[in-house]
Formats: sequence, C-alpha cells, structure tokens
Amino acid sequence: MFLKEYISDVYQGVRSLLKGMKKTGYYFVHPSEIITQQYPDNREQLHLPERFRGEVVMTHDENNEHACTGCTACELACPNGTIKIITKFDVSPEGKKKKAIDTFIYHLELCTMCNLCIEACPTDAIKMAQTFEHSVFNRNLLTKKLNLPNSKIREGVE
Amino acid sequence: MFSFQQLAQQTHAWLQQHTGSFTVLVECAIVAVFAITLFAVLGLVLVLLERKVAAHIQIRVGPNRVGPAGLLQTVADTLKLLMKEGLVPNLADKFLFNLAPFIVMMVAMLLLAPVAFARGIQIWDINIGVLYISAISSISVIGILMAGWSSNNKYAMLGAMRSGAQIVSYELSAGFSVLCIVVLSGSLRISDIIAAQENGWWIFKGHIPVLISFVIFIIAVTAETNRAPFDLAEAESELTAGFHTEYSGMRFALFFLAEYINIFIVCAIGATLFFGGWMPLHIAHWEGFNHVMDYIPSSVWFMGKTFALILLIMWFRWTFPRLRVDQLLTLEWKYLLPIGLFNLLLVAIIAIMGWHF
Amino acid sequence: MMPASAIFFYVIAAAILVTAILSVTTRRIFRAAIWLLLSLMGIAGIYFWLDMNFLAAVQIVVYVGGIVVLIIFSVFLTQGSGQSLPLPAKFRLFFSAVAVSLGLAFTIWILQGYGFLATAPEVPAVEMREIGKTMLSVQSGGYALPFELVSILLLAAMVACIAIAMKIPADKKND
Repeated sequence: MFLKEYISDVYQGVRSLLKGMKKTGYYFVHPSEIITQQYPDNREQLHLPERFRGEVVMTHDENNEHACTGCTACELACPNGTIKIITKFDVSPEGKKKKAIDTFIYHLELCTMCNLCIEACPTDAIKMAQTFEHSVFNRNLLTKKLNLPNSKIREGVE
Repeated sequence: MFSFQQLAQQTHAWLQQHTGSFTVLVECAIVAVFAITLFAVLGLVLVLLERKVAAHIQIRVGPNRVGPAGLLQTVADTLKLLMKEGLVPNLADKFLFNLAPFIVMMVAMLLLAPVAFARGIQIWDINIGVLYISAISSISVIGILMAGWSSNNKYAMLGAMRSGAQIVSYELSAGFSVLCIVVLSGSLRISDIIAAQENGWWIFKGHIPVLISFVIFIIAVTAETNRAPFDLAEAESELTAGFHTEYSGMRFALFFLAEYINIFIVCAIGATLFFGGWMPLHIAHWEGFNHVMDYIPSSVWFMGKTFALILLIMWFRWTFPRLRVDQLLTLEWKYLLPIGLFNLLLVAIIAIMGWHF
Repeated sequence: MMPASAIFFYVIAAAILVTAILSVTTRRIFRAAIWLLLSLMGIAGIYFWLDMNFLAAVQIVVYVGGIVVLIIFSVFLTQGSGQSLPLPAKFRLFFSAVAVSLGLAFTIWILQGYGFLATAPEVPAVEMREIGKTMLSVQSGGYALPFELVSILLLAAMVACIAIAMKIPADKKND
C-alpha cells in the first residue's frame, strides 16, 4: 500500500539519521575519545605504533658487529633504487677471501618505506626504525651510510 | 536593576531633546554601528565555534595554538583575509562581481531588523514581522545568482543555479512551518508571538504537530543557508567552491561572514517562533518556578536558545553526507511539502478547537 | 529645513529613477535585470516609508523573489547573455523617445489636474487580521471570489506542469 510505504520510508529515514547523530553526539560530549597527538608538546611521551616505519637502519651489537653479508638481496628488492651496496673482499688470517660489505648506502629521500628490503633480507641485518624527524637543510644529508665505521660481520652469519 | 530597555528609552529621550526631527537619522546611525559590531563579533565567535564543534565531533582537538586554547584563531584568520589581494577575473562582469558580496551582506543586515534580542530590545517591531523575514530572505538568492553569473566560471554558474533551485523550493517548507506558529499565535508580529508564549513555549504547548513543523523548519533553513548536508551550491568535491570560487580576500570574507550571520538569524527566528525568544521557561501554575526563571536576564535566554539551535545545525553538518540534486528535490517536493501542508491543517484544527494549552 | 522623512523620500525616489533609467539604457541583459530588481526594491522601500508594510512585503515576495528570479533564470538560459547587445536602430530610438515624452507629458498633465489634499487624512493602521478576513469575506467588498479564481488558475497550472513533467512508463506507452 502506498501510504504505508510512505510512512515507513519517513520513519526509517528519521531513525537512521538519529542513529548517526547519536554517534557523533557521543563523540562530541566525550573529549576523552580524542585521538589527536599534540606532537611537538608530547615529544617525550610520544608513543608510536610498533609497525610504524620511519627509516631503514642496520642493527649493530655492542662489539660493533652487524649481520649483513653483502648479498644485495635488499638492493634487488628495492623498487626505486634506494639502496646501493658496495662490497669488498676481506682476507681472513688463513688467506681465504670472503665477501663483505664496504659501504651500505641508503637514500632516504628516495625511500617510500615499503618494507620490501626488510622482508628480502635473509639474515635480518636491517630493520625499520621509529624515527621520523628527518628534515634537514641540505639534501646531501639524506644519503646515509648505514654500516658504522670499522664494523664487521658477526661470526657465524652466512 | 540595569536593563537595556531603560537605556534605550533614555537615549531616545535625550536624542529627541537635542536633535529634534533628525532623531531618526541619528538612531539609524547608532543601530548601524551596533549591527556592524554584532556582525563582526558573531562572525569571529561562530567560525571558531564551528571549527571546535567539528573537531570534537571528528575526535580531533581543533584550533589550539593562537591565543589561549586557540581563541584568537579567527582573529588571525580575519587579519590574513584583510591583507590578501582581492582578485577579479579578467572576463568577469566587474561591476556585478564587486556588488554581489554586498547584496548578500545587506540582506543579512535587513533580516536583523525584526529580531527581538531581549525584552524591549528590537530594532523594528514591524506588524508583519514573520512575513518580512520570509520576503527579505528571498532576496538573498539574487546575490548568489549574481556572484555565480558575473564570475564567468562554469563551477560558479552551476553552483549558483543549484543554489537558486534549492532556496526557491525550500522557502515553501520554511514558510509552511512558520505559518503553523502564526496560526497558533494569531499574529505575524514578533512581539505578539513571544507574548503568546508567556505560559509555555509553542514547542511544548502545541503537541506533536508543532514538533513536526519544528523539524521541517530546521531542515528547510539548513537548506536555505546552503549548509551541509545541503551544501550542493558549494560542494567542494564537485564544484571547488561553487558560486564563490573566484572570490578572494575581503570579498570572500563577506560571503563567509554572511553565511554565519544567516545561520544566526534563522536560529534566532527558530528560537523566537518555537522556543519563545527571550521569554523565560514558564510552566503554567508553577508560580515559584516561574519567578526563579524570571531572574535569569532575557538576553541570556535568547542567546542560549539561539546558540543551542546553532549547535544543532552544526551537529547536522558534521554528521550527514551531502545529498544529490535529485535527492534534494525529492526530499522537498515528495516529503517535506506534503507533510508540511497536512501538518498545517492539523495545527489549524488545534488552534480552532483550542486544544493547545 | 527638510524634515528627516522628506530626506528619506527623496533618497529612495532618486534611487528608483536612476536604477529604472539604467535598466533600460544598459546594453547587457543581466545587468538590466539587476537594475530592474533594485528599482523594484526601491518601490518596496517607498511602501515601507508610507507604513504600508504588508504591501511592501508582497512587493518583495512577488516581484523581487518571484518575477526577477524567473527573469534571471531565463537570462541564464539565453545564449550569449554575457555580450553587450548592439545599439538599436535610429528610427527605433526616435520613436521610443517620442513615446517616452508623450507618456511623461500625459503623467504630468494628470498630476497637475489632481487636487492633492494639503494634509493627508489619518491613515488607519492596516492590521494583518483585517487583510486576511477581507480576503476570504463573501460580503460586499470581500475578495473571496477573486481569491478562489486565482487559486483555481494556479491549481490548473500545477496540474498542467505535472502532466508535462510526468514520465509515462514504457510498457504503458504502446496502449
């Protein structure tokens, strides 16, 4: 019947509108729900989510050793050429030659934080850091060398 | 006790004594100064209020850097707009382009005349008060059409056409719901309508039909002031900014200000018609309660009711998504108008039989 | 010295005349509509000045809110409404000048012949209630018949509009 349909249309419409208003009204009177972070003020107690990706770093332990074998899997995985690995050959005391990294170059200005390099790394040598205050006055400062000076590969990592 | 009414009467007597027949001109000038001051203050307050309300509804903080708790944000914005260059497009009709914001502003100022701000504070208690308001508000569409056409821009033109269709059709519903109160009060004069609500506001006295007409009124005026969810005229995602796409600097500020002044005025009218304007909350036969309520100044009652309605309209804006043009016209012609007509009939029956309290 | 009300009258009257002349002399059609609008608003101003509030409001509702908006919409639908119109032909200018001067002379002649009263009689304040009652009164001097006639005319127009705008479902078209 036409009239019945009409009235039920109006009723349903008003009900759904009121439902929406109830939700927004709840948020309006509950300021504790606010999720905005007042950034520069709360720099000390700022808590970032675990999976936040700020930049790629290489982990070093207390002996200044890292786990990078220089396999260039990350360089190949990177979609926009952010990583460039320069390798060298270490000569061990027995006279055996072993491939190792000389410089791990990372272009922060090209990186999209896609996480593909981390996934590609077979030895978990690199990871995503939580830092995000990257602005600098000179673009050159964004090209970073990730392995620390005089660092070497950890024993046993192949 | 200090009251604005007394002050106004004393000023009038003093002016009559000193300026003779030019009293009316001097009083016009005083009223103009007050109106402009009110506009400036309202603009600053309402824009800040809107931004804060929007932020809290969207679980944000909102402006909080300029001044204590962000209170000076709109002052800073106004200064910025004042210093900006007002660009005029090369192929625009320059005369009409410059005139349009002032027409919109003038309409808003004219609408201020019959609003009763407090007991005895009213610029012009005209005997056709409500009719005057609906007549003058029909001019505002001309300013928008003018702005849209003279910009020589397709977005602006489309926005203006949409806005025209929208205002012309929603005026009907707003008119019908206003008529309901006119039928109950038996007068068009604003002061009579307020006096009729001395023993209770119409929204309580008039049963469900008045409630329905209030709902229709609030929907129709939201559409008439071009606010979301009826902001098709300036729909950002489709028409960039609609009829004021080409405006910048102070001319844009005038459009922006006029929008907020119009919201204030329609909410003031709504508060006057349905919630008794400056009349305190009176309940028949509760003498003690009524006396307590009378101690709150009438201007506080008026402003409180008006701002409550403004908050309601802001709540609409930040909750509902925008309508399509066909949905907009369906809502008006298939729902609001028939319901409004039927409702007017019910109200007339209530008024004739004297069923209201 | 002029009383303040006379100043108001002359200001409004001058505005009406200037905008009226501009509306017929401008060569852009949209501007002509806007000048016409301002002129009609000036006339509403004169009604307000005379304390004929209802008449003034109706003037604004009907002419400004209704007719001028319709004119503006039809200007929007006109092609090339942004360009200036060409100047009219010489003989048309001549004949319109003749028509205007004849009309002016006739008006002045009528005004000269009309004996204005030195003091206007007290105009009773027209109450809205009275206007409403007269509108629906069937006694002599009532306007019930014209009111109903206009209603029927409007109803017919609305039915016709619906008939034009109505979509006939495709399956019924062939019957």
